[in-house]
Amino acid sequence: MAEARDESIKKLFDAKSAKVDTNKGEEYFSDLYESCKVRIGELKDMPIAGRGVDLRKALEDDGFERRDFLKWASATTAMLMLPASFTPLVAEAAEVMNRIPVVWIELSDCAGNSEALLRSDGPKIDEIVLDIISLEFHETLQAAAGHQAEKQLEEALELFKGKYILFVEGAIPLGIDGNFGTIGAKAETFKDHLLRLADGAAAVIAVGACATYGGIPAAAPNPTDAVGVMDLVKGKPIINIPACPANPANMVGVVLHYALTGSVPELDSLLRPKFAFGYRIHDNCERRAHFDAGEYVEEWGDEGAKNNFCLYKMGCKGPMTFNNCSIIRYNEAVNWPIGVGRGCIGCSEPDFWDKYAYERPMANAHIKAPTGGVEKTVDEFGLGLLTAAGIGIGIHAAASAIAGKKNSDEKDV
Amino acid sequence: MKTDYKKIERMTPAMRIIHWANAICMIAAIITGLYIAHPYYQSFIADGAVDKYVMAWNRWAHFISAIIFDVTSIVVAYLYFFSRFEKPYKKLIPNAKNVKEFGEVILNLLTLNRRKRFDSTHSDSFNTVYFTIFHLLLFFMLFTGLQLYVHGLESGESSIGTWWPALLHISTDWTIPVTGGTLMDVRIAHHITMWLIVVWMVFHIYYQIWRTIFWEEGDIAIVIGGSKFVKDGK
Ligand code: HEM
Ligand code: HEM
Ligand code: SF4
Ligand code: SF4
Repeated sequence: MAEARDESIKKLFDAKSAKVDTNKGEEYFSDLYESCKVRIGELKDMPIAGRGVDLRKALEDDGFERRDFLKWASATTAMLMLPASFTPLVAEAAEVMNRIPVVWIELSDCAGNSEALLRSDGPKIDEIVLDIISLEFHETLQAAAGHQAEKQLEEALELFKGKYILFVEGAIPLGIDGNFGTIGAKAETFKDHLLRLADGAAAVIAVGACATYGGIPAAAPNPTDAVGVMDLVKGKPIINIPACPANPANMVGVVLHYALTGSVPELDSLLRPKFAFGYRIHDNCERRAHFDAGEYVEEWGDEGAKNNFCLYKMGCKGPMTFNNCSIIRYNEAVNWPIGVGRGCIGCSEPDFWDKYAYERPMANAHIKAPTGGVEKTVDEFGLGLLTAAGIGIGIHAAASAIAGKKNSDEKDV
Repeated sequence: MKTDYKKIERMTPAMRIIHWANAICMIAAIITGLYIAHPYYQSFIADGAVDKYVMAWNRWAHFISAIIFDVTSIVVAYLYFFSRFEKPYKKLIPNAKNVKEFGEVILNLLTLNRRKRFDSTHSDSFNTVYFTIFHLLLFFMLFTGLQLYVHGLESGESSIGTWWPALLHISTDWTIPVTGGTLMDVRIAHHITMWLIVVWMVFHIYYQIWRTIFWEEGDIAIVIGGSKFVKDGK
C-alpha cells in the first residue's frame, strides 16, 4: 500500500520533460572510455552473429571512403553527447555492431520506420551501419516466408536467448482479447507475440510513434484499444525512439551506444534517449527569428511562406515538441519538415495525432471535451462560458433594476 | 431623516496596491496570452527587425506580469493566515456558522437584496470563498505557465544558473500528468483556465458594483480608499 502510494507520488513529480546533463566531468568520461575499450575488445573476440555483414566491405561496395566514414563517426560521437576523444571508439563500435543480434518485428504499423531505412535516394552511412547489424529476423526484409520464416525466428530466439535486441515497430491492439492483430499459422496475437519475444531479449527498442505510445492506431476513438510497448512489457530495459518515422540516425545512435557501453543511453521519463529527445524543435529552428519578430505565414503560398516566415499560425507545434530533427535533420541532413515549409506536427510526443497534428494553432483546434462529447475550440468554449455568465449577469441586473430592493434598512419582506 | 454611518477599515494600502497590481497584470496577461496563443495582428514586412520583435515583446510582458503574480501570490497566501482583519482561512472552515453565512449571502443575491440576514461589516464567507477560488485559479496558472516556460530551458542551464530550471521542474512537472499526460494538455489547461479567470473577473466586477448600489454601504470604496461605511447601530 505505502509502496504503491510512494510510487504514485514519485510518478507525479517525475520529470516528463527533458533534462540533459552533458557535462559529467573528466573522471566520468575517462572511466567510461576505459570500460568502452574493454567492451569493444570483448565484442571483437566474439564471432560475427548469424547474418552479420562486414562494415568495411559494405561501405566500400556503396562507394564510401574511409574518410566519409570517419566524418560520420565524429558527427555521431557528438550526437551521442560524448567528447570528441571517443570518435575512434565510436568508429570501432560501428564495425563490431555486427556481433549484436537483432530481431525486428512489426505489429500494427505501416512499416514506415523500415521504409525510412530503405527508401533514401542512396543508402547513407547511418543506413549502411544499420544494415550490417545482424538482423536475424525482419518480416518485411527477409527472403523467408511462411513456415520457413517462423522456423528462422524460433532458431534465432533459441540461439541468441538473452542476447538479442528486440526492435518493435507498431502498436499492440488489446481489444477483443488482442485478436485485432495475429501473426503466423497459429494466429498468435500481437500481444502474446511481443511478450514472448521480449522475454528473451536483452533490451527492447520501440521505434516510431506507434510502438512508443500507440501512435496512429491509438488515435481517437482507438477502436482496437492499441497501446505502446512500454504499456505492456515490464521488467526489461525499454528504449523509445518515437517520431513518424523514427530517424535512422537515432536508431543507429541507440544500437551504437549499446555496442559501445553495453548499456542503454540516458533516458528521459518517457524512456526516450536524451541525446536525441533533449532538444526542443522551436529552440533549434531556423525560422525562430521570424517567430520572435511576429512574422508568420498566414496561408500557404503567401508572401510570408515565400520568405520562410515562421509556421506557428499554420499550426506548427515546435514549441511543445522534443526531437533532434531540427538539428540532425533527415536523410543525412538534407532537410526536415519545417525546412521544406510545413509545420511540426509533434510526431515524437504522446498522443500526437489527437493533440498536435491538427495543423492550426491550438487555440483554433477542435478539442474533445473530457467527456468525449462535442468538439469545440478552447476559445469557443471560453466565449461560451463568458456568454453564459454575461446572460446570467444581465438577467440579474435587469431584475435588480426592476424589482430589487435598495433600502436595506428594513430587512426581509 | 438622517442616517448615521460608521466607517470601517477593510483593506490596508498594501492590500490595495496588490489588488490593482493584480488587476493590471491580469489584463496584461490576458491580452498578451491571447496573442501568444494566436497572434492576432501582423507586423509589417517593411519594418526593421528591431522594431517588430512583436512576439518576443508579448512574451516578455506576459512573463513579467507572471513574475509579479508570483510575488503577490506569496504575499496574499501570507495574508490568508496573518491578516490583521478577519483572517480569511477562518472563513473557509466549513463550520455551521460559515455555511449558514455563505447561504445567506447567496440568498441575498438571489432575492435581489430582499433578504439580508448577515453581518456585512466584515468580509463574509461567500466573499472569502469566491476570492479563494480566484487564488486557486491563479496558482494553477502559475504552475502550468511555469511548466510551459521551462520547456525552453531544456538544456538545464539558464542565465541565472542550473537551480532555476531544476526548481521549475520540481515544482511544476506534476501539471503534466494532472492535465492529461502531454505537454499540449498543459497548454490547453493554461488556456482554458484563462477563460475561467475572465468569467470570474466579470462576475467579480459586477458583484462589487451591485453590492455598492444595493447595499448602500460604499463597498466599492474598499478597494480604493480602503474602507466602507455601514449604518450605525449595526
Ligand atoms: C480586473 C481584474 C481584477 C482582479 C483579478 C481582482 C481581484 C480581486 C481579489 C483577488 C480580491 C480579494 C482581495 C484579496 O484577496 O487580496 C478583490 C477584492 C476587491 N475588488 Fe477586485 N479585482 C479586479 C478588478 C476589480 C475592479 C475593476 C473593481 C472595481 C469595480 C474591483 C473591486 C474590488 C473590491 C471592492 C474588492 C474588495 C471586496 C471585499 O473585500 O469585500 N476589483 N479583487
Ligand atoms: C502567472 C504565471 C504565468 C506564467 C508563468 C505564464 C506563462 C506562459 C507561457 C510560457 C506561455 C507559452 C508561451 C509560449 O509558448 O511562447 C503562456 C501562454 C499563455 N498564457 Fe500564460 N502564464 C502565466 C499566467 C497567465 C495568466 C494569468 C493568463 C491569463 C489569465 C495567461 C494566459 C495565457 C494564454 C492565453 C497563453 C496562450 C496559450 C496557448 O498557446 O493557447 N497566462 N503562458
Ligand atoms: S516554425 Fe515552428 S518551430 Fe520554427 S520558430 Fe516557428 S513555431 Fe517555432
Ligand atoms: S518537425 Fe516535428 S513532426 Fe516533423 S519530424 Fe520533426 S518532430 Fe516530427
